[in-house]
Amino acid sequence: MSLAVAAAARPRAAKRERLARQRRRFLVWCLAPTLGVLMAVTLLPILYLVATSFTPLDPTNPATAWNFSRPLLNYRLMLSDGRFGNSLWVQAKLSFWTVGLQMLIGIGFALLLNLRSGMLKALRTLFLVPMVLPPIVVGIIWKVLYTPDISPAFWAFKALGWKVATPITSATWALPSIILADTWEWFPLTMLMVLAALQTVPEEILDAARVDGARIWQATLYVVLPYVRGTLMVAGLFRLIDSIKAFPLIYLLTDGGPGSVTEVTNYYAFEQAFNFSYVGYASAITVVLVTVSLALSWLIVRLTGWGADE
Amino acid sequence: MQRLSVTRRRMLAGVAGGAALLPAPAVLGKATSKYAGTTIRGAAFSLPFHQYLSTYFPEFEKETGIKVAFDIEAFPIYNQRMDLELSTGGSSYDVIIVTFIYQGKWIGAGWVTDLDEFTKDPNVTPASWDPVDFVPGVEASMRDAKGHTYAYGVEAGAMLLYAGRADLIDRAGLALPTTMDEVLKVCAAVHGKAGVAAWTADKLHHWNWPPYLEASGGRVFRDAPKDLMPLLDTPPAVASAAWYAGLLKTYGPPGVLSFTDDQALHSQLSGRANMRTNSITWGLPLAKDPSSTVAKTVRYGMVPGGPAGDFPGVACHGFGIPKGSKKKGAAWEFIKWALSKEMLLRVVKEHGYPSVCRRSVIESEVFKETLTLNGQDVAALYLKVLDQLGDGAYMRYRTVPVFPAVGDKINRAIDAIATGQQTAPVAMKEAEAQAIEAIRMGGYKIGR
Repeated sequence: MSLAVAAAARPRAAKRERLARQRRRFLVWCLAPTLGVLMAVTLLPILYLVATSFTPLDPTNPATAWNFSRPLLNYRLMLSDGRFGNSLWVQAKLSFWTVGLQMLIGIGFALLLNLRSGMLKALRTLFLVPMVLPPIVVGIIWKVLYTPDISPAFWAFKALGWKVATPITSATWALPSIILADTWEWFPLTMLMVLAALQTVPEEILDAARVDGARIWQATLYVVLPYVRGTLMVAGLFRLIDSIKAFPLIYLLTDGGPGSVTEVTNYYAFEQAFNFSYVGYASAITVVLVTVSLALSWLIVRLTGWGADE
Repeated sequence: MQRLSVTRRRMLAGVAGGAALLPAPAVLGKATSKYAGTTIRGAAFSLPFHQYLSTYFPEFEKETGIKVAFDIEAFPIYNQRMDLELSTGGSSYDVIIVTFIYQGKWIGAGWVTDLDEFTKDPNVTPASWDPVDFVPGVEASMRDAKGHTYAYGVEAGAMLLYAGRADLIDRAGLALPTTMDEVLKVCAAVHGKAGVAAWTADKLHHWNWPPYLEASGGRVFRDAPKDLMPLLDTPPAVASAAWYAGLLKTYGPPGVLSFTDDQALHSQLSGRANMRTNSITWGLPLAKDPSSTVAKTVRYGMVPGGPAGDFPGVACHGFGIPKGSKKKGAAWEFIKWALSKEMLLRVVKEHGYPSVCRRSVIESEVFKETLTLNGQDVAALYLKVLDQLGDGAYMRYRTVPVFPAVGDKINRAIDAIATGQQTAPVAMKEAEAQAIEAIRMGGYKIGR
């Protein structure tokens, strides 16, 4: 009997398997065009970038294209290039301060705006303005503020009899002035993300904390912030990756100067490619930047547990 | 339902009626050029010449039937965009400004069209257009080693000294400085008087500083374009860099290190800064611009010299045609018209344009009258600078393909000295090392 059942079931199982195979094949064919386009628009340019980084490509000299005779030359050059090293250090300082300040200010404002106050709710939109402004507009606003001839701030300083150095031409203040402008522009993003997370904190656990005698600051520190820790992590790492892409403010305000005090790696690569036509070397710098960005993205996934099974 | 019968008569009547309803081409019956109906696209950075010339575009369009559309950008943006456009063989533009600093690169790379094919064809260019009328020193950088011409001069930015508040210098019992030592003496005497800073400049140090480097006996390269070994850490280079950075730091208005050309001009127009050395184009508004507060006190002089002589900078930008242009014939018609003697005389007469590159125009009475500024014959100073330029030898450092990269090192070194980040010897030594690296990256062989 059981043999007869098994014999009858065999063709059914084979049929199911065949159907499943067909379904899989169908899905693969459906996805293929999308995957193809995705590969073409993301992977191919990166592959081209990597290939270019192994050549001394300079558009003024056609012989340098696809010249792989000394593939590691650009990378070796990078190791001895003091300006590249300096640009990494400037990048590290810029990222540290902008991300740190944006997180602190963003969390502070989010906690304030999360209070049940009509006025604060109305202010939310106002705080978002810097973030939605085009970067060029932000650059112009700060350029005006930092330029003594046309700056209302400098008029006020002058009226008060204060002699204040022009921040964007001071070796000491140029980087802080970029950090200030960048923080002003982007703290609303962290504020928005944290605010959204705060609104998911269940009232019950806050009530429980209150019943246990926790004060507001204790509830915030020991209950609320740990609850939104994942969001804080994502916000911080997003800002960190974004800070590596810093460009418009530096281009508009300081041009990487005075000297090289505000020259970040991104800007240095831009100069090599677009001002001096050293596309091969700029590609190598960019490959390093892409690698760092990818490593940080991987870190985001690891730390936040995205994609892991619940 | 009634069917409409289509007859030949009806069809012709319909076509004629329809044509009458369409707007007639603006050039119908007027255009003389075989390119009538073509639209050429041009690109330029913000130049006073272009601003003046564009007021005559309707005349050109009426005369030839060629429509002209120009994109105007700020100087650095223009150069970056054009560099990219030309390097990719783009055909977006038919007429461009071949920027002085990029002439070696763009012409050397074969990205712009040889204009000899137009000027040497009498059917295309009449002899009266006279290409040899352009000042040779101005044209030198727009020619290749074989003597072929790739652009014709639009602006000869001859460098002069101009003091907006020469009255303050008079009051101090001094004269306009003629040497670098005198510059410091005059600046020390007038700085801060009546709230006026003694010196101003834009942030393009690699344009403003080399005249003083050369006056001190130094050079940017050992012998450009043949020998591109940079000489940025030689004693004259270090001394003149320290001198120039000190001048900006001690006698410049607040924020001078970040000044663009416009800001430097405005600091003089508004009477907040006194002296500047730059192209005459930026000096003319001090006497002629309605907003100038120094029109009655401005005075012009030659760029101060040093122990090795005086070497006023001359930057010559020209009109050229990109290699990738699909409308080269029409583009040449435009250049021919824009840079004809007649048109240049009109631009000088009607707009007071000072930076002309044609000798016949420079020597005309109209030019002399136009450049008599505040009672001073500035035309004579301008001619003197162009004559001093000779065959352009001392400006060749600027048109070699690697100069943008080397110029960047100069800019950063002067900035570093002026802001006290580095001493002049350290900054210039670093600039030298970086310049050597950049030149080698460009594929040039150099050595001590």
